[in-house]
Amino acid sequence: MNILGEISCYGQCLKSWALFVSLFFVMSIALITASLMLKDPKKRLQTFVFAQATGLFAVAATFYLMNCSEMLSLYLYFAYVAISTILIFGTLRYYDRLMIKRLEAKPAGSILKWTQEFVDKLTSARVYYFDSAVPKAFAAGRSIFISIGLLELLDEDELKAVLAHEAWHIRHNSGMPFLSQLALMAFSSSSEPELEDQADRFAAKIAGNTALYSARNKVDKVFI
Amino acid sequence: MVKLDQINISNDGLTKFFSPIEAAILRALWSEGEMTTSELTGKTNIPLTSVAGTLDRLVKAGYTTRRTESINGRVRYVYEPVLSEEEAASEITTKILDSLVQAFGPLAVENFSKYSDKK
Repeated sequence: MNILGEISCYGQCLKSWALFVSLFFVMSIALITASLMLKDPKKRLQTFVFAQATGLFAVAATFYLMNCSEMLSLYLYFAYVAISTILIFGTLRYYDRLMIKRLEAKPAGSILKWTQEFVDKLTSARVYYFDSAVPKAFAAGRSIFISIGLLELLDEDELKAVLAHEAWHIRHNSGMPFLSQLALMAFSSSSEPELEDQADRFAAKIAGNTALYSARNKVDKVFI
Repeated sequence: MVKLDQINISNDGLTKFFSPIEAAILRALWSEGEMTTSELTGKTNIPLTSVAGTLDRLVKAGYTTRRTESINGRVRYVYEPVLSEEEAASEITTKILDSLVQAFGPLAVENFSKYSDKK
């Protein structure tokens, strides 16, 4: 169980490859640090995925290139799984809080009381509005975000269709955090158009087909 | 949005300093004072999808302010220009004169006085 001993043994087993492999480990750690510091959520996610890829590559390379004990490979793999699980769950759990801060979002109940009451009947989620004229709605964590631009544009029935659509996403997300984590770790995204269809079917059931289609017509592709 | 590196001397009127959509919005606000989003899209004849992002930018850059109103269960923005047309013109002129003096020094000042003598 002497980890330092294992590492130096590995250095010898890997011989000329040791430098190459450790370079990837250093790169992976640097990328994870960078992804924690980046402000733009999209770049942050990309860096994070890159960090995962380099980390995984380094572990795989160690496993295939070494000639002696396999214990260190196992340690490394477990460390990788533990760290990425914590990071992914942390991101999922706190992503909506991050968005609230970034968008300076406020509870939608304070501006349109019925929105929060309507969503309460469908799932447990908070509804927030944020200051932007661009019509937009999305779900993150256990929160639904809608822009003032969307509130301006849609009437009550259409807004209900959008809220039901987003509420479905939240129900769906909370049901399967493990699956989406696995999808993320395997670098495969779940089939998005199919999810959107199911969310739309739910929205049509709650708010009616007419409301859903007129909302879609007014703001095609702005609620996801 | 009146950034010196984006000034386009060959354009006409306000579009020397603003994008065409920014200019159309500012012109509408200067002539009407307060306007809602739908009044703006109606007056400028530009669809909401093109206007919305520009409105966010104009607010962020400080050329317009907006407040949120809630009437009969409908929420809407009301826009107002921050500077009057004259104030905006004087701000733009000062910026450009400053940059000319910074680049050419006394020569620029000499030309300004020649220009005003001609008038």
